[in-house]
Amino acid sequence: MNSKTTFAAAALAVVAISSNAALAEPGAWSDEPVRIVVTFPPGGTSDLVARLLAQHLDTDYGQKAVVDNRPGAAGTVAADYVAQQAPDGTTLILSNNAPFTISPTRFASLPYDPIDGFTHIAYIGASAPGLFVQPSSGITTLEEYVAFVNETPMTYGSSGVGSISHILGEAVDAALSVESIHVPYQGSSPAIQDFRARALDSFYDMVVQNSAMIEDGEAVALAIASPERNPQLPGVPTFREQGYDVVIENWVGLSAPAGIDPDMRAQIHETVLAVFADPEVQTKLTDLGITHVAMSSEEYEALVGELIGVWATLIEAAGIKE
Amino acid sequence: MDILASFGNGLLVVLQPENLMYCFIGVFLGTFIGVLPGIGSMAAIAMILPITFYLDPTPALVMIAGVFYGAEYGGSTASILLNVPGTPAASITAIEGHQLAKKGRAGVALFSTATASFGGGIIGMIVIALLSPSLANLALSFAPADYFAVILLGLIAASAVSNGGALKGIAMVVTGLMLGTIGIDLTTGVTRFTMGIPELRDGVHIVIVAMGLFGVGEVIASIRGARSGQAAQTVDYTDFYPSKKEWKSLFAPILRGGAIGSFVGALPGTGQTIAAALAYAAEKRVSPQRKDFGTGVVPGVAVPEAANNSATQTAFIPTLTLGVPGSPPMAIVIGALMIYGITPGPRLLTEQPDMFWGLVASFLVGNIMLLILNVPLIGIWVRLLRIPYKYMYPTIIVLICMGVYSLNNNVFDVWLTLIIGVVGYVMRLFRFEPAPLLLGFVLGPMMEEQLRRTMLLSRGDPMVFLERPISATLLAMTALIIVFALYSSAKTRRRTLASTLASNRKEQSNEQ
Repeated sequence: MNSKTTFAAAALAVVAISSNAALAEPGAWSDEPVRIVVTFPPGGTSDLVARLLAQHLDTDYGQKAVVDNRPGAAGTVAADYVAQQAPDGTTLILSNNAPFTISPTRFASLPYDPIDGFTHIAYIGASAPGLFVQPSSGITTLEEYVAFVNETPMTYGSSGVGSISHILGEAVDAALSVESIHVPYQGSSPAIQDFRARALDSFYDMVVQNSAMIEDGEAVALAIASPERNPQLPGVPTFREQGYDVVIENWVGLSAPAGIDPDMRAQIHETVLAVFADPEVQTKLTDLGITHVAMSSEEYEALVGELIGVWATLIEAAGIKE
Repeated sequence: MDILASFGNGLLVVLQPENLMYCFIGVFLGTFIGVLPGIGSMAAIAMILPITFYLDPTPALVMIAGVFYGAEYGGSTASILLNVPGTPAASITAIEGHQLAKKGRAGVALFSTATASFGGGIIGMIVIALLSPSLANLALSFAPADYFAVILLGLIAASAVSNGGALKGIAMVVTGLMLGTIGIDLTTGVTRFTMGIPELRDGVHIVIVAMGLFGVGEVIASIRGARSGQAAQTVDYTDFYPSKKEWKSLFAPILRGGAIGSFVGALPGTGQTIAAALAYAAEKRVSPQRKDFGTGVVPGVAVPEAANNSATQTAFIPTLTLGVPGSPPMAIVIGALMIYGITPGPRLLTEQPDMFWGLVASFLVGNIMLLILNVPLIGIWVRLLRIPYKYMYPTIIVLICMGVYSLNNNVFDVWLTLIIGVVGYVMRLFRFEPAPLLLGFVLGPMMEEQLRRTMLLSRGDPMVFLERPISATLLAMTALIIVFALYSSAKTRRRTLASTLASNRKEQSNEQ
């Protein structure tokens, strides 16, 4: 994704909201409780976003909603399940990179179609990963990093093969024309533990989640892969402002099985946007490191399609196609 | 002093009504499952795991731990009354305990086991409170090479001291290792042995293997073993409290059993059964009543119970400070913590002090609850043994299926559990132990992961294992264990060879 798309999206979203508002008012769209399927186990960022949404749908708009965690196989188990459900607005999925933009390229065959199998309804927001190095290395900028790595290659930890942090690592290597040694972990916490034990030279992970380490001087965040600096951490520069065009974001949105009624789609879209317009909800999102952007359903659908292409390039460059 | 203050804080955490309630539910459920023959703490923990997803991490951990040590209390009841151990570790208690029951002294045996369990539990708690902080400090500097060495030590220790045939034990460990390789290879992202089934991409969940082998498998085996609730011996309450002399003879065995249990429990790869067996063997040599061992003596029930309970508590040391589970139930504890986004490891003590010290303090509270549950209320548990199995076991199977389904909300997992359950039953028929399989299943992938990571970090130089002091020390200990195991097996073989030769000669001379 590049910043132009994001800006255009944000600008169009304002128009979209005003035009959609004429069609639908925020409010309950089903008498039945709605299931929000999450592609990860309970406790992660996705799960927390889904629970936040479910809670506010009920308290603010009287729409009962429950979170249904169906983790497994990089989100493809959950996506396949949702694609087979009736498009009556009672089964929704918290869509994200894993099943919709990474898996279509990574896996030779998918049991579902990430575009035609779904009606993408609302974009929620995105968080951005970044590059962290040991404070003892003395490196504070990407320029110094390139100089250092050209002398002695660094090891970097990621959340696993094919994870966003791994793909970012490969993208950074390519953009900076350096070669680093990838060390995959199961999730970011064990990688951070090895980084703290000084077994790892560097690691890639979501930046806001590690703000405590940055403040305590335990890690130096060299760059964040968002188009703009994060307001929570204004001291961390972007890759782009240091002269390297690397933008990789971890986005979340809401989607339904294909063929949902257009009026209901508009209704859900309005309600979800209204929930995330609430300042209190936005604060909670920001704490999770997610920057909220309002977008129309059509733009969101186009964005998913566009991102499949963006990630395909990254994944092929990283050489992790199955 | 620091430790006392932290412990005090922990006590405040656990005395909150919510935590107290989950502690009680845990120990109650643990005793319940423990009393039922055949079904151990493993199945119980796996069954309540899905419930804990809806709790905060601290009460969840307190409850899981409560089930774990509660089962060891309950396990002795069936082993004393029926000579059918409720948990594997309680089989050692049955040796003396059932003899006492046959003499009509079941009440005394039950009372002694409860007291000894309490004593052992408290000793284990003191050890965990004293040792964990310093061990966690050491573990902060653990690199992948050191973790590899710890896990290797655990696997070797488990197979060297495991009870039962060594060859069958190794076969089970290897089967576990093979099961553990199913799924995405962490280092390359390639899927292994999934046979095109998407549900196997992430590997087989530990709970599925545990529930299948220990839950379903044991239930089938138990149904076959005992057709209906065997009429349990009635407990004579007038003869419930030990005599003054027996009281006195309880104290030293509890201390010895607690000490051995604490040590063995803290080693990765061992567990309560080995702790109880070692403590019983040691007591048989040092006890003043050693001549009477085997005929039903009070110290003989106290020692294994003290040992298995202290081992149950200290098993949390490597689990929480290193993130390396020493036994299958501890692997489930780690799984539960990961679901909350808490990575067990050296930073757990500083990042989650309330949780850690709350857990340690809950050992005290839980053991007191168990003492109350198991001394005045022993009658309830005895009556539980009379519930016909035709109601009990189907209920358990249903609960297992529900629990497994709720893991990923996927029916595939239920089928897989039932298939593994049938395999587990067949294994049992041929006397293959499920515990080494599960240990191989859990530790194998961890060991592979750390080994390959070490090689990546060292750029392919294996000398790193010998250059790091921690891993070099641990590898030296592992080598010692192997040498010792080879030496002792050679010794026993020579002895059996000598005795067979001797008996052959005798037979020959008889024939002439």
